[in-house]
Amino acid sequence: MGFVDSFKQNFIEQDRWHYLANGLGTTLLITFFSVLIGMVLGFIIAIVRFTHDKTGKMKVGNFICRIYLTVIRGTPVVVQLLIIYFVIFASVPISKIFVAIIAFGINSGAYVAEIVRSGIASIDDGQFEAGRSLGLNYRQTMISIILPQAFKNVLPALANECIVLLKETSVSGYIAVQDLTKGGDIIRSQTYSAFMPLISVAIIYLVMVVVLSHFVTKLERRLRQSDRR
Amino acid sequence: MIDVKGLKKTFGDNEVLKGIDEHIYKGEKVVVIGPSGSGKSTFLRCLNLMEIPTEGTILFEGSDITHANDRDINLMRRKMGMVFQHFNLFPHLTIKKNITLAPVKLGLMTQAEADKKAEDLLERVGLPDKANSFPAMLSGGQKQRIAIARSLAMNPDVMLFDEPTSALDPEMVGEVLELMKQLAEDGMTMIVVTHEMGFAREVASRVMFMADGYIMEQNTPKEFFENPQNPRLREFLSKVL
Ligand SMILES: Nc1ncnc2c1ncn2[C@@H]1O[C@H](COP(=O)(O)OP(=O)(O)O)[C@@H](O)[C@H]1O
Ligand SMILES: [Mg+2]
Repeated sequence: MGFVDSFKQNFIEQDRWHYLANGLGTTLLITFFSVLIGMVLGFIIAIVRFTHDKTGKMKVGNFICRIYLTVIRGTPVVVQLLIIYFVIFASVPISKIFVAIIAFGINSGAYVAEIVRSGIASIDDGQFEAGRSLGLNYRQTMISIILPQAFKNVLPALANECIVLLKETSVSGYIAVQDLTKGGDIIRSQTYSAFMPLISVAIIYLVMVVVLSHFVTKLERRLRQSDRR
Repeated sequence: MIDVKGLKKTFGDNEVLKGIDEHIYKGEKVVVIGPSGSGKSTFLRCLNLMEIPTEGTILFEGSDITHANDRDINLMRRKMGMVFQHFNLFPHLTIKKNITLAPVKLGLMTQAEADKKAEDLLERVGLPDKANSFPAMLSGGQKQRIAIARSLAMNPDVMLFDEPTSALDPEMVGEVLELMKQLAEDGMTMIVVTHEMGFAREVASRVMFMADGYIMEQNTPKEFFENPQNPRLREFLSKVL
């Protein structure tokens, strides 16, 4: 079968391209919202951990965060996804996509937390002291002085985490979410041709990753403005 | 203005300050000298509670700050400017924002009022054209002058300087000392840790020698330098002069 025929069979006939288009939408939806959850969780955890290390306060919070980090980083994301779907939400009628968002969000939060924490720790102590010596309280110092700098420092790592997450959502099929990967796989199972749908899926991921990376590089350059000598 | 009673500070089992009783009056310019590691920075940092004293009390403008709550400590710090050896400007903010951040965040001024104040201060420290620059674009001397301006934006009653010129290239020391001299002439109460003996001679109303966690000797600059009593001080002066 020639390229054109194969293309027709896999994408045009029975509007099979819908599997990819809808799947892509689902993948982006899951990635977008789980990145949001991951960022919020990650920042909160990083701040709790840092505050504990710095001031000795928040002992309980720090303890909970450490358990969370150990469990999430010590188990595969697929297993977490399955547990959240089949165990935690077992008896709750709930959208699979929502479950995937929760699962990947919680997973990503652990990695974001460690990224942000290292970013906060990389800020010179003098910054903190300068803020406090001006009469700003701990919170104000964190928000106005420490976190903006930490965020800037870890932006490439955070963007990387988004990219990793985008690719990681490809295991959503385990709970029968029809994401991009699953879409390609459904086409494969219908047409019995693997090359065209799977390579297409790969190319779509690749394009997204490349575009995202490019965007991040640009953003980084803009943020670096203040470092210019 | 600042009343220090029985101040001790221990890090682990390292007793850095071993009992300091001191009074600093309004308008005084106190210069603290002493060998490295003698506790000068720790003493200064105890005054605005950047370090929590292990023992003793500190009264600032009549109120005991060593037993104050966090809120009162923050209020006290507004009135005590601090200038650091390494400037500690906020690298992510413009010079103007560096100066206006605290007064605006603390609700003491509107952004417009603070901007006006920043312009006046930049004029005063001789860097009016740097308002929109970032710290990384400035020389060390310029950074320190901005750091001083940033402290002054809070209208402090007293300024603490911890070796403000030690991190500077020699040719930039003069501009910072000149600014500090102006401040002194304008009547600011100042406590300055420095190795600049010329500055101590010229500007100080009182010079203290700190060693081994005590203030070993203090006097007017003239007496202090011409007629040192303590053998440790004599030895120290013979090395630095
Ligand atoms: N945060 C700290 N933790 C532990 N030890 C400290 C700390 N700060 C200062 N020290 C110790 O206190 C002593 C005095 O330090 P410092 O006050 O910085 O001296 P100086 O400013 O006179 O050089 C030094 O031995 C130093 O190691
Ligand atoms: Mg020191």
